[in-house]
Amino acid sequence: MAVCTVYTTRSLSSTCSISTPSKTRLSSYQNQLVLYSSGKRSSKRGSSSSPWVISCSAGDSQTVVIGLAADSGCGKSTFMRRLTSVFGGAAEPPKGGNPDSNTLISDMTTVICLDDYHSLDRTGRKEKGVTALDPRANDFDLMYDQVKALKSGVAAEKPIYNHVTGLLDPPELIKPPKILVIEGLHPMFDERVRDLLDFSIYLDISNEVKFAWKIQRDMAERGHSLESIKASIEARKPDFDAYIDPQKQYADAVIEVLPTQLIPDDNEGKVLRVRLIMKEGVEHFSPVYLFDEGSTISWIPCGRKLTCSYPGIKFSYGPDSYFGNEVSILEMDGQFDRLDELIYVESHLSNLSTKFYGEVTQQMLKHADFPGSNNGTGLFQTIVGLKIRDLYEQITSTKTAAPLEATKA
Amino acid sequence: MAALRFNSLPGILEMNLTSSFSPNPKLSFASFHCDNKKRVSRMVVKAAKYKGTQMREKKLTELIEEKVLEAKQVCEGDETSDECKVAWDEVEEVSQAKADLRRRLQIEKKDPLESFCQENPDTEECRIYED
Repeated sequence: MAVCTVYTTRSLSSTCSISTPSKTRLSSYQNQLVLYSSGKRSSKRGSSSSPWVISCSAGDSQTVVIGLAADSGCGKSTFMRRLTSVFGGAAEPPKGGNPDSNTLISDMTTVICLDDYHSLDRTGRKEKGVTALDPRANDFDLMYDQVKALKSGVAAEKPIYNHVTGLLDPPELIKPPKILVIEGLHPMFDERVRDLLDFSIYLDISNEVKFAWKIQRDMAERGHSLESIKASIEARKPDFDAYIDPQKQYADAVIEVLPTQLIPDDNEGKVLRVRLIMKEGVEHFSPVYLFDEGSTISWIPCGRKLTCSYPGIKFSYGPDSYFGNEVSILEMDGQFDRLDELIYVESHLSNLSTKFYGEVTQQMLKHADFPGSNNGTGLFQTIVGLKIRDLYEQITSTKTAAPLEATKA
Repeated sequence: MAALRFNSLPGILEMNLTSSFSPNPKLSFASFHCDNKKRVSRMVVKAAKYKGTQMREKKLTELIEEKVLEAKQVCEGDETSDECKVAWDEVEEVSQAKADLRRRLQIEKKDPLESFCQENPDTEECRIYED
């Protein structure tokens, strides 16, 4: 049974009616029916004609929800851009809406920034003495209600937290997408929200790397110095450790970024050691492995067949335990310098969920200008993106298969 | 065989990152290496197209300076106080917001107000900013 909801981009005025608009045109897009009225409207306040949208969702919706926990702002990441790229298309802010919106929309995915669920704006947090990291600054009830609505195919009027003004702006309408990504500090904090996630990722940046990255980010700013950057990280650390860090035990995949072990006493944070920690037994998710699944491997691809420049590349893979969960860990230390190193590595990894040989390399090349394109961060983000695509296809084919089975019976 | 150059993360400043910080480490810019090995100051940012974006950039720059000063003052008394934590959290928030804006202008080469200004070309925010 289908449930249809009528909503407009403006609030319903009593002078508008659905049944008798003049000169209507019907167009359909997916399972939405859009009626455009170019006739006279009684409302004087109208700007451009606002289309009516009737959205129908099937009883069991196919919105897949992904959670991404990270400490560095929203819509930012490279991770998001790689992910949306795997599905095709670029993610853009909603057209014509609030220019300070944090939301990104592409054909298949909508990325929501969880800062939009702040219950306290900047002034409010200052008054109460809580940081944005503190759960008391966030409305988890609203987060749960809206993520649940979107997951079941119902649109939501989501608030907007404006990072420039520090205020909560009027809400924007979010239509249920095929893939919903909720990104921010607390995607896995609330148990009810956690249960809605089909897959969750935690980006775990070590203190040294975080410091190096924030220096890169902030040193060009007039107000900042090494001291202020350091002080900011240290001051936020207690709340971070108390509220954000514990979420990593719930994640299906953790991408851990550490300083390299290949260069002794390296403190520049340029060469990175990245670990992809994958939970075993997660539905629709089969961990990537090297050579022999479940065994322990240490692999240096550089040698006779492949020449690498300093400091080279080192991989390892093996089973482990992580916060009481059985996991497999794939680790890369070092940097890619050339295309052939990347393709060589890809050819030795298994369970990548690629659709053709060389897809990982192709995706990495497509975004060679993104940060992390020459190390494990880019590689593992790309792989996780492919895993999410695989997960999405499995989930949606399961759902379409079920009704067929019912009719056969 | 094609040799492809991967751009690494922008090079960090050429300074000694030891644990002893000099009292006033005033570094006015970070530098990164271009392909032709010339050092370019990162302060040369692609200019915003619309007035609104230029105003936001300016606002965020001022906010960063303001909030850092505020945090230093607030934390003088007690570094572990809630007020101190909140002050540095605000610094983080505006620093990230500025970095996001910079990224969109420099890397994505798009003015964030582009689509808004196409629909609302007559607003103050959408005046074309002349360099």
